[in-house]
Amino acid sequence: MKSKIFPLFLLIFFLIIFFIFFKSLQNSNIYVPKSNIDKDIPNFNVKKAGKNNIINSDEIFKNDKFYLMNIWSSWCIPCRDEHPFLMILSRNKNIEIIGLNYKDNSENAKIFLKEMGNPYNIILLDNEGTISIEWGAYGVPETFLIYNKKIIKKIVGPIDEKVLLEIEELI
Amino acid sequence: MYGRKVKLRFFFVLLILITLILSIYLILKSLEDNVVYFQSPSEIKVLAEIGKKKIRVGGMVKNNSILIEAKSIKFVITDFKNEINVTYSGAVPNLFTEGKGVVAEGFLKDKNFFLATKILAKHDENYMPPEVKAALEEK
Amino acid sequence: MASLIGSYSLNLGFCISFLIIFYSVKNFRNSNIFDNKIALLTFLQFFFVIISFLGLILSFVNSDFSNETVFNHSHTTKPLFYKISGTWGNHEGSLLLWLLVLTLFIAIFLLSSKKQTKKYRILTLMFQQIIIIGFFIFIIKTSNPFNYIFPIPNQGLGLNPILQDPALAIHPPILYLGYVGSSIIFSSTLAATTLNDISIDWAKHIKQWVLISWIFLTLGILLGSIWAYYELGWGGFWFWDPVENVSLMPWLALTTLLHCILVLEKKLVLTSWVIVLSISTFTLSMCGTFLVRSGILNSVHTFANDPERGLYILIFLFCLIFLSFFIFFYFHKIENKSINNFFWLSKETSILINNWFMMYFLTVVLIGTIYPIFLEVISSEKISVGPPFYHKLIVPFLIPFLLAMAIGPKLRWIKSNLQNKLYLILYLIISFLLSALIIKSLGISFLLNTVLVSSAFYLFLITIRDFFTKKFKNLSQNIAHFGFSLLILSILFNNFLSTEIITNLKIGETYESEKFKISFENIDKKNEKNFQALIGKFNIENKNGDNESLQPELRIYNQPNIVTSEADIKTNLFTDKFMTMNLVQNQDYFNIRYQIKPLMIWIWFSVLLISFGGLLSFIRKYEK
Repeated sequence: MKSKIFPLFLLIFFLIIFFIFFKSLQNSNIYVPKSNIDKDIPNFNVKKAGKNNIINSDEIFKNDKFYLMNIWSSWCIPCRDEHPFLMILSRNKNIEIIGLNYKDNSENAKIFLKEMGNPYNIILLDNEGTISIEWGAYGVPETFLIYNKKIIKKIVGPIDEKVLLEIEELI
Repeated sequence: MYGRKVKLRFFFVLLILITLILSIYLILKSLEDNVVYFQSPSEIKVLAEIGKKKIRVGGMVKNNSILIEAKSIKFVITDFKNEINVTYSGAVPNLFTEGKGVVAEGFLKDKNFFLATKILAKHDENYMPPEVKAALEEK
Repeated sequence: MASLIGSYSLNLGFCISFLIIFYSVKNFRNSNIFDNKIALLTFLQFFFVIISFLGLILSFVNSDFSNETVFNHSHTTKPLFYKISGTWGNHEGSLLLWLLVLTLFIAIFLLSSKKQTKKYRILTLMFQQIIIIGFFIFIIKTSNPFNYIFPIPNQGLGLNPILQDPALAIHPPILYLGYVGSSIIFSSTLAATTLNDISIDWAKHIKQWVLISWIFLTLGILLGSIWAYYELGWGGFWFWDPVENVSLMPWLALTTLLHCILVLEKKLVLTSWVIVLSISTFTLSMCGTFLVRSGILNSVHTFANDPERGLYILIFLFCLIFLSFFIFFYFHKIENKSINNFFWLSKETSILINNWFMMYFLTVVLIGTIYPIFLEVISSEKISVGPPFYHKLIVPFLIPFLLAMAIGPKLRWIKSNLQNKLYLILYLIISFLLSALIIKSLGISFLLNTVLVSSAFYLFLITIRDFFTKKFKNLSQNIAHFGFSLLILSILFNNFLSTEIITNLKIGETYESEKFKISFENIDKKNEKNFQALIGKFNIENKNGDNESLQPELRIYNQPNIVTSEADIKTNLFTDKFMTMNLVQNQDYFNIRYQIKPLMIWIWFSVLLISFGGLLSFIRKYEK
């Protein structure tokens, strides 16, 4: 009798520990902001690639047309997968593609674009990653479809053929 | 009633039990005294009273807020909702930069001023301290 | 190409695991002699893992960026030494190294255990294979080091420069040798328990493994500490950070186990203790890996973290815990003889007392490390446990611990008496007077300090006496204990006598205090292959006229773009002068930290001495 209680007690004890560790795994330390679809785009100031002056986001999204804001980085591997689709999309005149270069080294980014082609009309720099946080991005790559200063679609992860068709239908 | 050996054994087990309980009590007691709670600037704003205990404040270092003097460093920690002024005299870590996450440990002077005794930063620039992350998420 | 071969041989090694299990089960049932096929397969598995590891090293050396691991952690401008050490400086590679050491150790085990019974050898091998299979699945499923990228990038992302340090380059392998050594102890204990074969002979045989992993674990912790001191520039060597704590916990358990084995080697007592300790040593090592790799620890050291990986280790860890539970309660027969069959004044008692203290220290560290995790889950309150907690709970208990460490070895096994032990009291009085004198002259008036220093001095003097009176008897134990007393003394005096000045200076400015004058003379720029260096020139003038020039560095690495500060440390036999400088964005001021830290070199030396004691014991055993 006595000899059975003790193992059982230990077993329950360890199960509790397991449960607590398991729970704590779910609050991992990676930053995950809330999603915000159908919201106004955040207002921000940003540096353009290759230039020193800072511009406001209102100037970028001022026209009455579709914008595709793509958060990318040369070190991000899925970005390489989605790049060809962005290249296809860049031939479409209805849409302007804006690249937000996330925590990247400018030399690497240049090499990346030279290698894979440059689909972006404008490239913005987000070296600290703060703009991406304001946009509520989960990581790279991530893409926002914007119309009339509102986010109408958000794509987490790389763009593939299916997403490309959806975008082309919308615009 | 019982033999000497059994008594001795009983005594031994009792001794172990008492030591165990005592040490666990000791550990938990000093744990209570020595933990440092974490608060975000927004949480500090709604505090009922200013405690004397050491706390940690986390958030982003506000842009253009760092000011260095010979004796101290002043900056503002923000969670994009509320802000707190921090005064610190001590060594700063390498990754202490405007617009990046920071955790400061120290004492509250009042709801707007914080006297830091230590500044923590991570080795990794892509990392965000969980406290900062939680504070930003509450936004 | 190298990475392709690596990938294939990793998978082949995995397949061999099943062959080994199959033949082991067959051999266990059927015949009386050990099947050499199994040994051959084990060596083959080791061979495949080594090929796989070499493949990864080669990919790093050749900067083959089609490999994802290499791409993420290397760069063409990195020096060759760090390209190689970069192989295990990341999550994927470090796991492959774990696996390599696992297979290496089991191969060595099979070679060195030929005198043991067949059943015992096969069972140990099987338990070890369970661990190996767990790691294989973990590597292949969640963290394959050979993932392929297409199109191939031109350049890698670089290794975090803070990891580009010689001490840290060899720190992981040494620490892993210690961790993985404990896996052999774990498997072999389980095997011996299953066969009900915990005996004096077994203790003699497993002691070698305990010693080996203990030596490596000690050295591994030392290296980590050295790295923190020289590279992090915080001016300390131990911060009670969770990541440091998780390496300390297995060490505490292993040290306790080592002492228990010493008893078991003489007399068949404390068997349950030995089993529990062997299991906990390995579990704590695994638990450390889990806590570090899953990123749930709130630590200043960070590692790439991924919840999926954490989940896998967690499940694996608890499977092992429950397996060992089952074996312990199902197979282990508690010895009938009562625990009290040694006299209260004996070596056994003193070892047992020290074990209890060790367990207490372990509990303190364990609770301090995981309490924040628990609290966060239960109440979503975020806290951290600081050094005062550990100091308050550990330091006072060091006093009886040190005293028992000094007196214990003087006692005889089973039963001892107090005749001819008068000198013990004499030494105690001497050391008390001596430390009272020192503490008084330093002007620190704490009672605790005096008692603490005198107990450390006591151990110090007693062990020195033994070097002369006992000569070579118990030399290894004496060296280790002497090293420990030296360690405690150096840490204490380091604490008492450290001074620190933190200030902000512009170029050309001077800081003046009562004791010295720090002048910031100028700054030099230097361009290196993978970083740009800013070298500050400082002159420190002591009030007694001594001049010292220190040149701390700031390094701005290009790949990845990170700033690190290199401390300039002037070391001599008695004291370290330590200076770091730091640049704060867009400001003219530099943040300067100047520290005088006495006896730093003795801290390193005493830990080396402790592990040398272990090594000596190992070699002596081997010669016999």
